[in-house]
Amino acid sequence: MRAARQFGTLIGLVLLCAALWILTPHFLTLSNLVNIVEQTSINAIVAVGMTFVILSGGIDLSVGSIVALAGVVLGAALQGGQPLPVALILAALTGVACGLANGALISWGRLPPFIVTLGTMSIARGGALLFTEGRPVSGFDASFRAIATGRVGVAPAPVIAMAVVYAAAYFVLARTTFGRYVYAIGGNEEATRLSGVSIRFHKTMIYGVSGLMSACAAVLLTARLNSAQPIAGINYELDAIAATVIGGASLMGGEGTLGGTLVGALIMGVLRNGLNLLGVSSFLQQIVIGGVIVIAVLLDTVLKRKHRT
Amino acid sequence: MKNTLALVLLVAAVSASCNRSGPAAGNGKPTVALVLKTLNHPFFVDMRRGAQEAADRLGVNLQVQAAEREIDVEKQMQIVENMIQTGIQVLIITPSGSREIVPALVKVMNAKVPIVAVDTRLDAKTAADAGVRTETFIGSDNYAGGKLAGEHLVKVTGGKARVAILEGIPGHETGDSRLRGFRDAVKDAAGMTIVASQPANWERDQGFNVFQNMLQAHPDITSVFACSDLMALGAIEAIAAAGKTGTIRVIGFDALADARKAIDAGTMEASVAQFPSEMGRVAVESAVKVIRGEKLPADIGVKLALVTKDNTK
Repeated sequence: MRAARQFGTLIGLVLLCAALWILTPHFLTLSNLVNIVEQTSINAIVAVGMTFVILSGGIDLSVGSIVALAGVVLGAALQGGQPLPVALILAALTGVACGLANGALISWGRLPPFIVTLGTMSIARGGALLFTEGRPVSGFDASFRAIATGRVGVAPAPVIAMAVVYAAAYFVLARTTFGRYVYAIGGNEEATRLSGVSIRFHKTMIYGVSGLMSACAAVLLTARLNSAQPIAGINYELDAIAATVIGGASLMGGEGTLGGTLVGALIMGVLRNGLNLLGVSSFLQQIVIGGVIVIAVLLDTVLKRKHRT
Repeated sequence: MKNTLALVLLVAAVSASCNRSGPAAGNGKPTVALVLKTLNHPFFVDMRRGAQEAADRLGVNLQVQAAEREIDVEKQMQIVENMIQTGIQVLIITPSGSREIVPALVKVMNAKVPIVAVDTRLDAKTAADAGVRTETFIGSDNYAGGKLAGEHLVKVTGGKARVAILEGIPGHETGDSRLRGFRDAVKDAAGMTIVASQPANWERDQGFNVFQNMLQAHPDITSVFACSDLMALGAIEAIAAAGKTGTIRVIGFDALADARKAIDAGTMEASVAQFPSEMGRVAVESAVKVIRGEKLPADIGVKLALVTKDNTK
């Protein structure tokens, strides 16, 4: 059933592309397709962390704010003359620390993920604004900007980064015990606990992964804009949740795949791009994207209900 | 499988309701893209109206796109990248970030599409470093506008006031220039004290909240300068909520329709008028000149005026 569902999302993406190919001559060109994947990479990476969290039955609303906070830490470190590896490590630590704090409060504090990450969303955003006094940190070396502007063949560097992240995350989820516990916790937390798995430890790590993904996205975004903005990443949590659920993950946990999430993110990217190419009013675009999210989840629910009876 | 059909139907429905052939196929007409910061602000809605009227008159196929949020420069960047794909002949843009949009404009330059900037300037150094050149900049002088507001406040208060300032998003060239102009105008009047100055990010509800908090901290505020009317209108609501209507002078920027009404009603002192529809008109006319190969001045100024009770119409 899971495979069939994922296949459906993929066919959705293909049909969407086919429709756009018929409607506009500008869609199916190499440069446009590369353009779409590049634009999707940031959301797709944030959505990896979101997939881990949602698979475990949780939710992470703080990802966008963590993108901003990790971004300004990165920017300030670079402007402060730190070498690139040090700045990258500081950004990663910022993201991971926020994520671990989320996880620890959720598991040891026994608080609902929605509330904890809602709090972190505000705290990290405020932290980013406070740290920068509200001003963007901009202007970096070409060596750093190459993270966004570099190319390997036709593939832009952010696309390569996305591929590496997905490969690594896929390995963790499919081939490690940690990955199996992510599914197990979301599927049946009580049974997993009774089988001797430390739920607290693993949950904390899951939110740590989400924080790390936000930090990765922050690096790409900062390089892309050549600027770290404390107001960056607003609504990223919604895009990441949308990509994950369009990709077939269940908000109840235990069900979903990384492949589905990638396809979900691509559907959103293709849709935004296609609607721009078609010259659709930006107001109508919001309605269409919202409609796609609701319809995808609605059909998912209907299909599951049918399957059960 | 079914969800896929739904997706396709949705796209088909949308495309049926819009220009079927897509932007670049404008029946031989030149295609010009107008990328705004957002379309949920009356200022940009007016700008689009002016641009559209000029486009209709001059036979230009105008493609208007905007991000959902004014501050979402990454989304604006995506729109610019997407518009390049459609083979536009000129890009008119109101940058959401003076520095942040430059990497996207590098791609526009590489595609050999000329750029016209409107309302917000690119950061000169960032643009020069990246090799980005705009054909012209069309906008009003925000510094002069801020100064106009400050001078008026000094005049009507007799040079004695405790002033609160609502700033735009920090680091935005537009708001920063208005702020500098205002500060420069009031700094020489010894009786003018700026007691609080905080960003309310151009938004009406934030203007309300931030000013409400300022009033808590400084109940003796007698005047407000807001770097935009939406924030000023938020402050006016906060003043009403505090029961202080009529005791605090509010000066805004943009002279929106709602602000003019407030000035008529006496709840607002004045607003600096920009002429966004004029900017839109001049932008499209300039784009046509660029297509014809004409040279444009580096700067095209659009007039500013102070709207007070005497001239709200």
